This record gives sequence, structure tokens and C-alpha cells, in this order.
Amino acid sequence: MGLPAGTRNYSYAQDMAIFRTKTHWAMLLALLVILFTAPLYCGNYWLSVANLIGITIIAATGLNILTGYCGQLSIGHAGFIAVGAYTSAVLTSRLELPFLVGLIAAGFAAGLIGMIFGIPSLRVKGFYLAISTIAAQFIIIWVISHWTSVTGGFTGISVPPASIGGITFTSQASLFYLIMVITVLVVFLAKNLARTRAGRAFVAIRDNDLAAQVMGINLFRYKLLAFFIGCFLAGIAGSLLAHWIGFMSVEHFSIMDSILYIGMIIIGGLGTTIGPIFGVLFIRLLQQWITSYIVPGLEGIFTLPAGFATGIGPMVFGLAIILFLILEPRGLAHRWQLFKASYRLWPFSY
Amino acid sequence: MAELLQFVITGITVGMVYALIALGFVLVWKSSGVANLALGQLVLISSWFTYGMLVQAGLPLWLGLLLVILFALALGWVIERFILRPLIAQPILSLITVTLGLAFFIEGAVSFIWPKSVAALPRLFPQQPVHIGTAVVSQEYLWAAAISLILFGLLSLYFRYHKMGIAMRATADDQRAVQACGIPVTKIFSMSWMLACALAAIGGVLMSCIGGITFGLVHTGLKAFSVVILGGLNSFLGAIIAGPIIGLAENLGGGYLTPLTWPGVREVIPFIIIIIVMFLKPYGLFGEVRIERI
Repeated sequence: MGLPAGTRNYSYAQDMAIFRTKTHWAMLLALLVILFTAPLYCGNYWLSVANLIGITIIAATGLNILTGYCGQLSIGHAGFIAVGAYTSAVLTSRLELPFLVGLIAAGFAAGLIGMIFGIPSLRVKGFYLAISTIAAQFIIIWVISHWTSVTGGFTGISVPPASIGGITFTSQASLFYLIMVITVLVVFLAKNLARTRAGRAFVAIRDNDLAAQVMGINLFRYKLLAFFIGCFLAGIAGSLLAHWIGFMSVEHFSIMDSILYIGMIIIGGLGTTIGPIFGVLFIRLLQQWITSYIVPGLEGIFTLPAGFATGIGPMVFGLAIILFLILEPRGLAHRWQLFKASYRLWPFSY
Repeated sequence: MAELLQFVITGITVGMVYALIALGFVLVWKSSGVANLALGQLVLISSWFTYGMLVQAGLPLWLGLLLVILFALALGWVIERFILRPLIAQPILSLITVTLGLAFFIEGAVSFIWPKSVAALPRLFPQQPVHIGTAVVSQEYLWAAAISLILFGLLSLYFRYHKMGIAMRATADDQRAVQACGIPVTKIFSMSWMLACALAAIGGVLMSCIGGITFGLVHTGLKAFSVVILGGLNSFLGAIIAGPIIGLAENLGGGYLTPLTWPGVREVIPFIIIIIVMFLKPYGLFGEVRIERI
């Protein structure tokens, strides 16, 4: 399964290896080299796009662990990201704690809030859980926008730039390294989490939680663990977002963003590590393409109706989610698998 | 005391409109098992469509409202036929998320076609406020409640006596048995979507008579979720009873809690109720407790 022709596994370690052959390792090295030398030949614009993509990948990976692996649908992800962003913003700007403390605290704060709103998942699922996470989103945003003494309310809060040791991350290039290192770590951890006891328990719960319980999986522990990990990553992403933008207001965390995160992992492919990456790339690049090329390009040719610029994005994303669910419910990750399989066997058909 | 009566009357009347919209949700959920999370957006787009017909096109009232109902029915049919039909027998996760995609699409379409964020419908009801005891209530509220009550009555008659209504109840009970009896289940599905959209449209028109057309109408749909959660997902009676409760809680809480907490508490009370119900009685007041087997 999935091995290049002529390669066989003779030991357990070989069987479990993620990077099995020398080609795999070479590809990985090449990818990392290209990724980390990107600031040398990319302009600031593309670096900022890459930073946004990296942050979104972290958040989407968290949602994928919760929804894709454990099957607990959460439509409040933007709310949990907001918890992380504001925790980090408040700790670093008002209490002047170091960035790393803010980052870790953001993860734990979002994780704990996520666990609280995840408690209903023990008794209900599907639509009920979706609604309770929507409720979580609205309650969180309401608290943030009205707790003016701490969060700054509707006027927002300015966030100092991230700094570790003596290094301050202010330029897009330096932030790029910070965000990409964390993104690579998160993706690596997510890949390995799926292969541990907890990851296998998540999959069992997703497939049938009753059967999982009968097999001896502690539903209480593992569902809450999934909520914690998913929202922890959301908090990390939120913290990075806060320090990347440098200014936080609740407009960054609307319910539509939560839906967009769901859309990303659907388009990428639920329950795969590569899926969220594909989904985030797809949505974010589409967003950039529409706002920076399509709308100005068309405006040059036609006089567009007034609502075109604001309306076209949501319409395209909504359509993309619907079409992927109908035509390719396993997402881009499945296409990628098919491509890899045919690449390995080429020129033979099987 | 005067304001208490005021809050109670507005709460109950607005709650009835919520119940009306929630009925559309329950209808779809019972017959096809699809959770329609695009409810708020359906309310939004039909209110804007009403605006388009009555104000922008300047049609007479009866023709405009008739077209709105027809538009809602057509929208329901299109949604069921082209989005939900291909997903029959897919896992619940896909069924929920596809309606989220739909919500996204409709919201984009609304800001595409009607770029303004606020508009007002022409007056559909007489303007003089009515004095009930010490409270002064504008007539829109009473009309909204009356129309909702009439529709509840008509719907219950429809489900009780009409062939199609009975078939819909039967589908909710057991899809396979219904199919064996020769009732086209897919037709029932599209009927339920059409009815749900029509109810959302009527609810939208009533709400926008009260508060104007804004993006807040999406929240009206979200409040309908707290109605169905409180009443129980598969209970018509639950929705009708829970609607006024949510309306009351919202208005009383908004009236008396705002000085104690922060402004805008009115908007989150339905969501706080959702969380409380989830913790205490997740299947709602009248919902059926689902027993699962492996």
C-alpha cells in the first residue's frame, strides 16, 4: 500500500516510517529548503500571504483533529482563535509578559474554553453540537467586545511585536520564519498524533462512538482531549495572528470565518494531515486571486455593480464548499493520493 | 410595571415569529434528517427579495407578496433538488456542512445584489399604536402574532387532514415503510424544503416590518435554532411553545439584565439558553430521546 514499486518493509520501524525511502527524504529536504529560503526571492506581499496561510494551516489542523479525526463538528473555531488572540494580546500588551508566555497561555486558554463548550459533546452530537459551538462563538465574541476594561472592546487592542530572547519579529521575513517553524512543527505533531493511541481512539469515536465506548475507550477523556488539542492549536494560531497583525479587533473572528475553516478542511479532505494544507492553500490563494486580480481586472473592463467586490468572495467559497461535498467529498487529499498512486505505477495501469 | 407588560407582549409576539421560522426547520429535520443551518440566510434573502419587489420594482402589495411566496417556494425546490438530493444517505457531517456552504453562498448573493446594508419595507400594517392596559404596542407586533397563529392553525390542519401532510408525517416516522407504500419520498423532501422556505420568507417579512431589513435578520434565523433546541428537534408543539419562551427571555433579559451586565446582552440570551439546555436537557422540552444501537 502506497509504497514505490519494489520497496518492501522488513521491520516494524520500516512499516511505521512516514518517510520510507531516500526519495521521500530528498523531497522533504527539498521542500524545507525551498520553504525556508523563500524570503530570499519572495516580495513582502507574497511573504505576508504565506504568513496568513501558515497561521491558517495551524488553525485548520486543529479543527481537523477535532472534526476530521474525532468527528465533533465545531462551527465556533473563529471564536476559539479569538480567545487565543486576545489572551496573548492582553498578556503581552497590558501585563508586558514575554511573547512565549503569551503564546503558550493563548493555547491553554483557548483549549480550556474549548473543553468547557465541548462538554455537551458527551451527550449530544451532530446538529446539537454544531449549534452549541455556534452559541460558543457568539458568547465568546460578545464577551470580548464588551469586556472593555481588558480587551479594549470595539476599539480594539494594539499588540506589541513578538520577541524571543533578543530577537524582535517585526518584518514579514522574520515573522515568516517564526510562523513557518511553528507550522511545520504543528503539522509534524498532527501527523504523529493521528498514529498514537489517542489518534486511533479519535478515529474510533468518529466512526461510531458507541462501539468505541464498548471497546473500552473513555469517551469523556478522549472527546474532551480532542476539544482541548483542537482549540489549543486554534489558540496558538490566534496568538500568532495577533502578533502578526499587531492590532486586534473582533471583526477578525466572525461566524463566517468559522464556516470558512470548516470549508477549508472539507475542501482539503477530512481526517488527513495533508488535507488542511491543501484546503487552506486553495481558499487563501482563491481569496487573494479574487481580491487582487479578478476584481480589479474586471473593474478595468466593465463597470461592476456596487456589491460585486464584497459579494463575489462568499459566493465563490459557498459554491466551492457545496461542489466539493457533492462531487469530491474526500477532498483534494484524495485526488493527491490518486495522483501519487498513478505516479508510482506509471507507465503501468496497475 | 408598565414596562414589564410591554416586554411580555413584545416578547410573546416576536417569539411567535421565531416559532414560525423554527417550524420550517423542524419540518425539514423530521422529513429528511437534514439540519438546515442556512435558516437565517433564507430569512435574509427573502426579506431582501420582498424589498426588491415592493420598493425597487414598485409592484402592488398583493402581487409583490405573492411573488415573494413563489420565490421562496422556487428557492426551496432548487435547494432540495440540486444541493440536498445528491447528498441523500451521506453522513450527517456532510448534510450539515453543505447547508453552511449554502449559507455562505446566499449571504454573498445578498450583498452582491443588494449592496446596501439597511433598508425598510413600506408599511404593510396600520400605524397607530395600540394601548393594552398600560403598555403601548405598535400594531406590527400584534399582526405578526396573529398571522403566525393563523399559520400554525393552517399547518396543523394540513398535517392532520391533507393527503400530502399525512404523507409528510409518515415520512418523518419511517422512510422505508413510506416508500413501500408508494409515496415518492424525494417529492416529500422537496415539499418540506419548499414549505420551510415559505415559512422563512413569511417570518422574514414579518420581522422586517418590525425592525427593518438588516443583517440582523440572520440572527433571527439563529434564534430559531435556540427555539428548536429548547423545544426539541423533532417536535412541532415544542417549537410553538418554545418560540414565545425565547422571545420572552430575550425581551425580559434585555430589559432587566442590560443595566446589570453589558449592553447587547439581548442578542446572546438565546445562545446562553442553548448552552444551558445542552447541559441540562439536551433533547429539549418535547424532543424524542434518541436511543442508539450499534
